[in-house]
Amino acid sequence: MYDGVISLKEELGEKKISEISYSENLYDAVQVGSAMREYAPNYDIVIAHGAQYQNIVDDVARDFPNTTFAYGTAYNAMHNNVYAYDPNAEEGAYLSGIIAAHVTKTGIVGIVGPVEAGDAIKYNTGFIQGVKSVSSNVEIKVGYTGSFGDTVAAREMAETQISEGADVLTGSAQQTVGAIKAAEEAGVYWLSTDVDQSSLAPNTVIASQVLNFKEVVRYMINARADGVYGGEHLSLSFENGFLSYKLNENLDNLIDDELHALINENIEKLKSGEIEIEIN
Amino acid sequence: MAINEILNLILRILTVAIAVSAPYLFAAIGEMFSQKSGVLNLGVEGIMMLGAFVAFYFAWAYESILLGIILAVFVGALMGLLMSFVSVTLKAKQGISGIGLYMFGWGVAGTLFRLFIGGVEDIAGLPNLHLGFLSELPILGKLLFSHNILVYLAFLLVPISWYVLYKTSWGLKVRAVGSTPRAADTMGTNVNKIRYQCVILGSMLAALGGAYLSVAQANMFANDLVAGRGFIAVALVYFGRWKPFGILKGAMLFSIANGFQRWYQISGSTFPYEVTVIFPYLLIIIVLALSHEKFAEPTALTVPYDREFKG
Repeated sequence: MYDGVISLKEELGEKKISEISYSENLYDAVQVGSAMREYAPNYDIVIAHGAQYQNIVDDVARDFPNTTFAYGTAYNAMHNNVYAYDPNAEEGAYLSGIIAAHVTKTGIVGIVGPVEAGDAIKYNTGFIQGVKSVSSNVEIKVGYTGSFGDTVAAREMAETQISEGADVLTGSAQQTVGAIKAAEEAGVYWLSTDVDQSSLAPNTVIASQVLNFKEVVRYMINARADGVYGGEHLSLSFENGFLSYKLNENLDNLIDDELHALINENIEKLKSGEIEIEIN
Repeated sequence: MAINEILNLILRILTVAIAVSAPYLFAAIGEMFSQKSGVLNLGVEGIMMLGAFVAFYFAWAYESILLGIILAVFVGALMGLLMSFVSVTLKAKQGISGIGLYMFGWGVAGTLFRLFIGGVEDIAGLPNLHLGFLSELPILGKLLFSHNILVYLAFLLVPISWYVLYKTSWGLKVRAVGSTPRAADTMGTNVNKIRYQCVILGSMLAALGGAYLSVAQANMFANDLVAGRGFIAVALVYFGRWKPFGILKGAMLFSIANGFQRWYQISGSTFPYEVTVIFPYLLIIIVLALSHEKFAEPTALTVPYDREFKG
């Protein structure tokens, strides 16, 4: 999210985005609330990046009707100055599942999950369905660490899956960097989500689902120029371009023309709604 | 499952458990010295965080893991000095000052990480040793003779610390100031000096445990890398009844249970993963609750020593 805002600022220049302020490591919703109240009078757009901030956004947005608030992953845009953004994490996951099923030699793929909730459920469901769309014989090993930020535990889980035969792994949340490192050292492959992580491990990360927060922020800025301050549930999907899928050129040899065509075909199907992914 | 599949699985879980129990051993044995002398240091987690950061930063920026580890241990000593000054000299409530130290280390490590690294960087990490024919042995080669050097150091620390604590005069003084500081003082032992030494030693070992996580296990640094392992180390001291071999048992049990739960999760069980994840913690708590050994806890634990106190 932060990178997206910064890169949009670089593109649009000082005139459009004059000032960015940023707070992180705020422990709890109370601190986030006070940070938001400090920002709200002085900034046009205040983004609270976390589903747990729903109540706080609800509260603060009432008091500052001229400020645009955005939070997510969520679907409830409570007021007409609030955006709830919501990545369709399952869409890219479906493509990653297709790739994993093609690339695996052992017939075993692994998911390093954080906590079985929200985005992780969407991501895992999409991935599993993608794998199954290619072959029902591929075994999918799912393991959770019980944390979002325990890099060491993610690594240990990845290592466990690799030692049990998995040769293509995926997973979500920030802790996955530990798992990617494990995959890199073991010489197996990884499929990323949220940001393009191919630079972390150029010979390991086959592809990344990318959330284009830059475009989301651009959308909000343009809407403000038209006098619209919010009131919308913003899905991040292939259809609206807020979601994209990026192949790592370094590992092009893994994706033959047939698979390439299959991926493109499935992106179109996901856009048109022909492929439905049912999230429990 | 065929019998040799099960044996292979046990071998894999044990091999991993030996490697991942090293940071717990460093931190918990360090904390044991601190507590044996009468100081409860709850700052272990923060010391580990800072140790992990310092070790990684220098290993990454100057490409020397050894330099990173040495500086991490040095920073650990400074944290220990701070902790002993606050809780031994100033006699602050140990529980509170330890939590302060934890937050300090956690925050400083995160801030320095953002300022000096700011993203995902990794290093090659401490290599596993190849011990000639020993590493080639079937089963035992992989299990015992293919780890990195810090793993051997961690396991050597167990008998060494036992020897120091129970067979040397310094160890006797440590135990004395942790249980009957007044008697120790009467016999001419400088209570506060011994406590300073133990807290600083403990903090150096905690920092080494943190360094292990970043340069020998994860091979990277991330926010909240330690993720509660410092608190587990404190719990392991209680679990091990303040004895090095008890701590070893606890660290191994916890690591084996963790390895088992990871395998169990991915083996396709439909059992709720939440329960599986907490299984190792639950195990430790149950054993803690069921262990009744009396007189194990240093009687002067958390009590600052005051020579003039007449009560």
